[in-house]
Formats: sequence, C-alpha cells, structure tokens
Amino acid sequence: MPVTQEPFLLLDNLSKIYPTPTGDFVVLDGIDLAVNEGEFVCVIGHSGCGKSTLLDMVAGFRQPTEGEVRLQTVPIREPGPDRMVVFQNYSLLPWLTAYENIYLGVNSVFPKKPEAAKKHIVMEHLEMVGLADVAHKKPGALSGGMKQRVCIARALALRPKVLILDEPFGALDPITREELQEELLKIWQDHQITVLMITHDIDEALFLSDRIVMMTNGPAAKVGEVMPVPFARPRDRARIMEDPRFYELRNEALDFLYHRYAHDDT
Amino acid sequence: MAVFVEVDHIDRVFKMPKGGEYIALKNIDLQIHKGEFVSLVGHSGCGKSTLLNILAGLDQPSNGGVVLEGRQVTEPGPDRMVVFQNYSLLPWLTVRENIALAVDQVMQKHPRPVRDRMIDHHIELVGLQKAASKRPGEISGGMKQRVAIARALAIRPKLLLLDEPFGALDALTRGGLQEQLMQICQENDVTCVMVTHDVDEALLLSDRIVLMTNGPEAHVGQIVDVPFPRPRERMEVVKHPNYYSLRNEIVYFLNQQKRAKLHKAKPAVAMAANGLEKVNLELGFIPLVDCAPLVVAKEKGLFEAHGLSNVTLNREPSWNAIADGVTSQRLDAAMMVAGMPLGITLGYGNQKPMPMVSALTLSRSGNAITFSKRLFDAGVRSLADFKANLDRRPDRVHTLAAVHPTSMHNLLLRYWLASGGIDPDRDVSVTVIPPAQMVSTLKAGSIDGYCVGEPWNARAVAEGVGVVMATDRDIWPGHIEKVLGVTEAWAEQYPKTHVALVKALLEACEYCDDPRNRGEIAALLARPEYVGADEAHIRQGFLDPYDRGDGSQPEAALNYIQFFTGQANYPDVSEVVWMMTQMARWGITPFPRNWLAVAERVKRGDIFGQAARELGLLDIGRDRHTSELFDGIVFDPNEPLAYLEKFAIKRDLRIEEVPMDAVGIL
Repeated sequence: MPVTQEPFLLLDNLSKIYPTPTGDFVVLDGIDLAVNEGEFVCVIGHSGCGKSTLLDMVAGFRQPTEGEVRLQTVPIREPGPDRMVVFQNYSLLPWLTAYENIYLGVNSVFPKKPEAAKKHIVMEHLEMVGLADVAHKKPGALSGGMKQRVCIARALALRPKVLILDEPFGALDPITREELQEELLKIWQDHQITVLMITHDIDEALFLSDRIVMMTNGPAAKVGEVMPVPFARPRDRARIMEDPRFYELRNEALDFLYHRYAHDDT
Repeated sequence: MAVFVEVDHIDRVFKMPKGGEYIALKNIDLQIHKGEFVSLVGHSGCGKSTLLNILAGLDQPSNGGVVLEGRQVTEPGPDRMVVFQNYSLLPWLTVRENIALAVDQVMQKHPRPVRDRMIDHHIELVGLQKAASKRPGEISGGMKQRVAIARALAIRPKLLLLDEPFGALDALTRGGLQEQLMQICQENDVTCVMVTHDVDEALLLSDRIVLMTNGPEAHVGQIVDVPFPRPRERMEVVKHPNYYSLRNEIVYFLNQQKRAKLHKAKPAVAMAANGLEKVNLELGFIPLVDCAPLVVAKEKGLFEAHGLSNVTLNREPSWNAIADGVTSQRLDAAMMVAGMPLGITLGYGNQKPMPMVSALTLSRSGNAITFSKRLFDAGVRSLADFKANLDRRPDRVHTLAAVHPTSMHNLLLRYWLASGGIDPDRDVSVTVIPPAQMVSTLKAGSIDGYCVGEPWNARAVAEGVGVVMATDRDIWPGHIEKVLGVTEAWAEQYPKTHVALVKALLEACEYCDDPRNRGEIAALLARPEYVGADEAHIRQGFLDPYDRGDGSQPEAALNYIQFFTGQANYPDVSEVVWMMTQMARWGITPFPRNWLAVAERVKRGDIFGQAARELGLLDIGRDRHTSELFDGIVFDPNEPLAYLEKFAIKRDLRIEEVPMDAVGIL
C-alpha cells in the first residue's frame, strides 16, 4: 500500500440523493469527515437528519450518490467484516444460543480456522462481555443489556477495523446503559478499535467520544459542528461530572440541538 | 394552597404465588396541589408505576388510600386520565376517531357540535390538524404520543397521569413534546403526575421531584423542590445557577440507590486488629487543597503506623454526599466543613437531628470570595462598590454561591455581605453549589460570585473569569475550616480506632505545615485520584504567592492555609459557639438554649487530648476566648445571644432546647 497522508476512515464529500416524481430529495449534502485510527467519534442529530443513512454508507449497505467513503484509502463498495455494525434492536437470531449467534459470524469469516480456534474466539469474546455463564442461553432468556452485550461480542469477534454502533443503548434503562457504556469504553481501550457511533444522548457522547459530530436537520443534512471532547482517558464518569468543561460542552450541544437546529415534527 | 390529591400512607403488598408476600410500596405519603407538576423518579422496579396505577384507580393499595378533591379513589374514572409509554391508540381508527371515541363516551350529554369543537380544539392543541385523518400506523411515534395526550386532555381530567410518556421516543423528538406538554399544562392549569427516569425531563417539567428508593418496600427517599420560574424555556432552565447542582443531587441519589443494591450483597464487617476495634475504614473527602492531611496520612503510611491497616479514601461529589455518607454509615468518618457536625447534631435543613462528634480540626483558613470579571469590569473593587452596584440596579438579582449551608464559606460570605449593609437573603440570592462546579457556573454567567476553598478561586483567576475580592486573611485569619467528623454512635462503638485515626491525621497535619514538604504535597494533591487539578493552581496560596487577579502583585501567602501551627487542631468550643450564632442568625438551625452542653458534646477535647499525649504533643487546648472579625465586633463565647443582638441584619431568632439524650440514637 502506498504511503499516504489520508486519514484512516474518510467520508469524502458524501451526498445521498433520492429521485422522486417531484424532483430530487437530498438526504445528505456533502458530508466531509475524517476519522483517525483508534478514534471514538459520536454522531448526534435529530431524527431524520440522515445519521443512519450515513452509517449505512460506511457499513456499505448503501452507496452514496456522490463522493465516497474510504477505509485505509480503499473505497467502500459493499458490507464486509472489517466494518461491523451493532443495532439498537439487537438483531440476534432467536433460535440460536448466545454462543451459536457469535459462532455463526466467526465461522463465516474465518472458515478455514481449526474448530478449536473458532471455539476459543467465541468464548474469549463472551468472556470479554462477562457472559461466559450464559453462553448456552437463547436471546429470549437474556435481558436487553445482555442481548446487546452479545451483539458487541459478535461484532468484535470478527476483528473489525471499524465498529459501527447505531444507538446501541437507546432501548436500555439508564442504569444498564451506564454499565454498558463503561464496558464499551474498556473494550475500546483494550482493542484499540476505531468506533463510529450514533446516539441521541449528549451525556453518552460526552462520556465516550473523542469528538462529537453534530448534524444539521435534514433534508440536505450537513455536518454542522464538530466538538472535540477534551477529557483525559481513562475516563471516570464521576470525574467528568465535576469538570467545569462538561457543563460548558453540554450546554453548547444542547444549544445546537434545541436552538440553532430545533426540530419540528409535524 | 389546598391539597388537591392526598396520598395517605399507602402500602402495596402482593401475595406471592408460592406463599409469602412482596411489599412493593411502603408508607407512601404525598400531597399534591392543584396545578402542580410532580415527577416520580427511581430505578426500574421501585414501584413508580404501581403508585401511578393506584392514583389512576387501576390498582388498589393494601393499606392507606388516595383522596382526590375530598373523594376517595377506588376505581378508574374520566377525572384521572393516564398516558402510557406505548400510546395505546386503536390502530383501525384515525387520529380524530381515536380522540372522538373518548369524548363521545365521556361527554354523551353534550350536543354533537360541542363535542366536535372539543375534538378539533384538542387536535389543534397538539398541532395535528394535518394528520387528523391518518391512522396510527401512518404517523411517527412522537405524533402518536401527541394523539394520546390530546385524547387524555379532551375529556378534561382533573389529574393527568403520565407513565414514561416519552420513553419510547428519541431524545430530540422528546424535547419538542416536553415543551408542548409544558405549555399545555401551563395554559390549562392541569395537575400532573409523571413517572420518568429522565432527570433532565423531570427538572424541566416539574415543580417537585419525588425520588423513590429501590423496592422491596420502596418509599419516598427525598423530595426535590424545583425553583425555576415559569414559564420555562429549556436553555434558560439549563443556565439557572442551581440546574446542575439539582441534577447532580438527583443523579447522586440514583447512584446511591444503585450502590445500595450492590451493597446488600456484601456488608462491610468491622475487622478488629492491632488492638483496635476496627481497622478497615472508609473515609470521605472532597477534592480541595485542604484534603491534604488525609492524602498525606494515606500516602506516607501514617494510617498503618497507627494500626489502621485498611483505610480507603473515597472522593465524594458534594458536601451533601459527605453528610449523607457518614450518617448512613456508608462512611466511617470524613473531612467535613466546620459547621457540619454541629449542623447535623441540630438537624439543619429540617433533617432528623443526629449527634455528631469532632475531635480534630484538620485545617484553618484557605478560602476566598471571588466575584465575576464582569462585576470587576463594572468597577466593583470592594464591598462598598458592590453595595453601590446593587443600589443602582435593584431590578437585577445577583446570585452568589457557597458550598454548603453549614460551611464557613456560607457563614463568612453572609457575614461579610451583611457587614456592608447587604442582606444576603433579600438584597442578593445566596445559593449552594458544589466546589467543582463553581468556575463553570461563574463562567456561564448564572452566578456573580462565590466563596470557596482552593484551587477554585485560583482557577477562576487563571481562566480570567473571576477576581478575588477578599480572602480569609481580610475577614478572619486562622478561622476553623475543615474538621474530622464522625457520628457519636461510631465514636462510642470504636473508641480506640477513633483515637488512632486522630493520631494519624494529627501527624499528617504536622507534616503538611512544614514548608519543606509542601512541594511534595502539591504534587500528590494534583494526582487525579485526589484533587485532580493543575498543580500550578494548587500551589497558589499553598506554596506560591497568591494572585488575586485584580492586577495587583501576587502576595506572599504566609499562613493562607494552616494545618498545625498555633494549636490549629484542638477542637475549639468557642468557634463552635460562633458558628451556632451565625447559623441561628440566618435561620439555618435554631439556637440551642443549652448551647454550651451541645458545643461540648460535639467538640471532644478529651479525645484530642488523649491522641496528642500519646504522640508526645502538647495536649493543652485553647481556652474559651473572644474573637474579633475584620469589622471589629467582638465575639465573647460566654455571651452568644448578646453577640447576636449586635447585628442589624439577621433573621428571626429561634431559640430551642435540644434534648441531647433523646436525639437520634442509632
């Protein structure tokens, strides 16, 4: 690969336009975003601002109308195991156990590995999320927080370069959500993985990310503002809560979302 | 205001299928006024929804009852409407038909045109005219919930009950609906009870927030009054000086409940060793420069040297957390603001009195009063300038902050203001904010100044947002500042441990006052597990010249903060009597008729004396002595009431007998 100054993950002048009988409908209009290797970036914005469309294009589920997404300079054309997505609604196969759900992915990505190695990868990742004890339970027997842990383990077991999270904790109660945020941070730290995460929760974004990308309202959504999050790592929630900067940043983000880009759902 | 809804000592007990019973709610007692908005906040399973269902009449209490406008609630009725998280609209009916169904049912006696107007009005109220003929499947979640709210309000309920109404919506749609609900409630004078777990939502909407403890036997843990003026606007609410301290208080409560849940699994047992009753101690501290003695005792092995082989230092988020931690026995002992042991003993803030003991003063002085750069730029250089500024602008309310009602910061700030003819309750507003939030609140412009310890004055100066108006050296040099506090019950249960703890900390205090050690201590304090601030800010006044930020030369800060010299550590009865006079002056606590008995019960010179003798230090205490603050008024501890007479600005004095043997024995 040629030596290049290009960032690890680059969203290069990305637009998504759907033709309609009454003319073009522009969802995203010229998104530029560079993500460094190992960085944790949160994307925040109102419903319908095209955040999920954005993630879909990074994941390779959809193609941009203009511009392109490049991972390590290679344009993204389709989904691949180097970019794994965790959704809010878990999307586990209900008839398989936690172990089998993860094994399914491992087996399809690493088919040539010996059985023992595959088994080891699955168990290692179940242990990582503290679920070795319930490896043989099916999703129906797991709590929401446990199901989301399985999804994270399944995604990471395939050793992706980029972990994409689409509001992963949105459906969880606030206490479980905080626990999973802390676990996610630890995993991110241990794995040195690059994370792109969509969230609605400003506190969550401030706790987790290196930068918060705030989107303007759709249609024709753009990157409105990028807020660097300066808190030292490893992060401690209580410590952040007493940092004067936390309140300044939180107010700034609230102001962006509720004043400058207030939402009108009619 | 007359009580509108009376929740009268409710219990809810469920019979278990395998025998036995589960007590979900225990002794819930709550009064709700007409037009009030009350939120119920707590963890999953705390019985919030059970309580809401009882209010709705969908469930019955096992004991006690609910009275709505003088009539007992025994069944569901149209005077109490519930909005659920999952909308519960009929999917085969349009928006309009869903609302019409309810209106037609309840208002049968009204003619058709009246009912139609009613329906249209409420569709308009929630802004859904364009979607009136759509079915639930064709509209967004936020719109569905607006239909549910319109349906509930259309039949004019006396009480609107909301069970996590916006829980299923994304946070930003939620924001819009919250504002709409707020407006509707305001305009129609609706009384609301809402279950939520969103702290920001509760703060925005509520007049009062009821915090529930975990089940089983869930009860009301705390009720938070939300003082923001109405009509409210989200960004103004967020910028209110108390917003983040209230938010943190609620988050703290919820985290304590979470911890309590884990705690039940492994109770801390007293470990006796080394001739002491308990060697495993949980000590609380607040990240401030004057936590140095605790840090030094830990880092230099002084706890171990006195047999306390297993001491954990707990960094606490606020002084309230310290008070709560010690009285609830989560903490064995803590660094406290000087007036806290006395305040808890007297039951400040309408809390149940609990006898406390302090056998050691940890530090003296070290505070300053900082004003915003804005006031400084407007020409405010002195107290007299501030008074003139207030007189010129009677329309603007100035807000100043201190860290706790019983802290010297609060008492000195008030004393200082009053000495300049400024009534701290009438001419300005004095509010309570935790130390670490002072600088950001000042920067945001929601307060105009504060009195706090370091490094928070130095930091405001360094960031160019504040100017130091007065330090302790200008007001009362060498006053008592931080103390070691334990409950009296703890002191009686672990007397030898208590002496060992005083010895370790006394040695640490001596270490802290040796100038040769201060550089090392400043570096220790800067570490993230202790103060976690810039070392340069910590050194200000601790080691380096003190910069007031007013353009004057930084001055050598000799004795700006003291830990040992000048009999600093003796628990001084005179000072506790002074604090009694000031807390009574501002109505924080009553003045105890038996003031000397109370003071001597709190300040334990005997325990200090034993510790000092065992260390070979001087155990002679301070005699009762007179003090004189900067204004020249002399305080004689033998004549506290005569002292109070000398002040022109004060609240009505309450003098009460404090029955010391009856109060809160554990």
